[in-house]
Amino acid sequence: MSADPDDSAAARTFGEGLALRATLVRQGTRSVLVFRTDLFVGIVSTLLRVVLVLLVWRAVYGDRTEVSGIAREDAIGYAVLGVLFAAAMQPWQFSSLRDRVRTGNVVFDIMRPVGLITQSTADQLGTTLASLPKAVVGLTLALVLGVVPGPSTAWQTVAFAVSSLLGLVIAIQCNLIVGLTAFWTTEIGGAYLVYGMAAAFCSGSLIPLWLMPDGLAAVLRALPFSAQIFTPLSIWFDRDPGWNVLGELALQAGWIVVLALAAHLVWLRALRRTVINGG
Amino acid sequence: MSLIVADDLVKEFSRPVRAEGAFAGVRSLFTTKRVTNRAVDGVSLRIEPGEIVGYLGPNGAGKSTTIKMLTGVLVPTSGTVTVNGIVPWRDRSANARTIGAVFGQRTQLWLDLPLRDSFDVLAKLYGVGPFAYRRTLDEFVDLLDMGSFLDRPARNLSLGQRMRGDLVAAMLHEPPVLYLDEPTVGLDVVAKARIREFIRERNRTAGTTVLLTTHDIGDVEQLCDRVVIIDDGRTLFDGDLGALRRTYLPHRTLTVELSEPEPHGWSIDDVHHAGTRAHHEATLLELRFDPGVVSTSEAISRTTATLPVADLTVREPELEEVITEIYTAREVRRVG
Repeated sequence: MSADPDDSAAARTFGEGLALRATLVRQGTRSVLVFRTDLFVGIVSTLLRVVLVLLVWRAVYGDRTEVSGIAREDAIGYAVLGVLFAAAMQPWQFSSLRDRVRTGNVVFDIMRPVGLITQSTADQLGTTLASLPKAVVGLTLALVLGVVPGPSTAWQTVAFAVSSLLGLVIAIQCNLIVGLTAFWTTEIGGAYLVYGMAAAFCSGSLIPLWLMPDGLAAVLRALPFSAQIFTPLSIWFDRDPGWNVLGELALQAGWIVVLALAAHLVWLRALRRTVINGG
Repeated sequence: MSLIVADDLVKEFSRPVRAEGAFAGVRSLFTTKRVTNRAVDGVSLRIEPGEIVGYLGPNGAGKSTTIKMLTGVLVPTSGTVTVNGIVPWRDRSANARTIGAVFGQRTQLWLDLPLRDSFDVLAKLYGVGPFAYRRTLDEFVDLLDMGSFLDRPARNLSLGQRMRGDLVAAMLHEPPVLYLDEPTVGLDVVAKARIREFIRERNRTAGTTVLLTTHDIGDVEQLCDRVVIIDDGRTLFDGDLGALRRTYLPHRTLTVELSEPEPHGWSIDDVHHAGTRAHHEATLLELRFDPGVVSTSEAISRTTATLPVADLTVREPELEEVITEIYTAREVRRVG
């Protein structure tokens, strides 16, 4: 997903590299799904959150059909989808990197012939896939309740899917970079907490960026967070998707390149100052 | 050429200074002063293919830090290191295929998944083909008697089972070099014996070169041809076990069982009284001599000429005594 300075993928064929990544992703997924009770609790909690935002936004709108130019059904549909995206892409535990650095088990990741960035992103992708059942069940409920409108055209559906995928990549990259700071500070619980709140707010998963004051919205749109969730959601709710959608997708792709370079640089520096905790 | 070559390895860690006095906790948060701690201070090593070398030293001597530099995880502050001609930290992925490592206090297994899954993934990570994978796994599972718990999640395994799992995980790609950092810590005698047997077997059949750190004298006595002892980041000793005994505890102990009560005021040239203890009905005398000064046969004949000897045994100092001597000497050095 990101260029990895230590990855010897060049020594493998493309197919082997892909198969290896698929294995790592599956391992990440299974590590989560093995806790079945946790999955069921997660599904219930997601359903509860869907119902809660539904009630809150209905109350906010009251009898009005429009606030700040946003139609009532769009705001409610957005809020519900925002919950589902957050459930999948902004998990409570962003990455196992934090624990691995703390305990010193990261020593094994660094020793392997596949780079830490590859291992870590594949693991996160696996974890995200494991939380998809939550999002799917939530989405089913939302569609049954009729609070999320279906997309208007096939082209819009494809654009939304592509944008969601790019958003997921960006979310994983951001999580990775925050996780890498553990090499400097060891304990990054605080950093994760701040990042988690910032990401929830800035990505537009809590409140659509449409409702933010113009200045703030402009700043937030210039940050990579909005490319995680707000961009795909705004494509979904776009009444008249045109060429601007391609621009949005290009912007997301640009973020992916920038973040990959950033992660690469951070990791190169982290390697030079690695301290492995414990004897 | 030696398989592992390290010259003047140095590793320094720096950390913020802890403030003292009033509001020390708060001031520590903002201090910009740092102290540097030299964990490894000029260690040089040459290890030949097929050797099993014990890397010993008291806690905090710098053993693990050295191993982490040899694995390429840590970048040395200064000095050079090559393993199989590769600079480990510069070319991690090539180095990774050359080495395997077990850190007894940690695990590389996916704890929530069955042991077998971890092995499957590691085989793919290291590019082990399906045929070779099946062959090595079967062989290792057999050697370490792991068949009964291969499908259990690693989290549920006993320490001995988990350690065997970690050993297999480190060896699946059949690396020529194996680093073992306390592989028997906390294990029962049977589990220890299994792990030692496995290491010896791999060394014998595949010529695996092993660098082993341990606090278990049994590991050293049963596995190592050679020991390197470090303390305070510096090498104190490098040689075989016999040389270690000769250097640090040159004396031998004569245990003499007396047939009559001990005579008063006896003395033997070059043989010294080290202790007396009762054993059942008999009295046992512990005598010491230095084989460099007086030969063993001469010491025995002088003893039998002077004392009423019923039985007599000679033994070399236990390795444990030797190590204790070395570690204590450093305490003395530190205090003094």
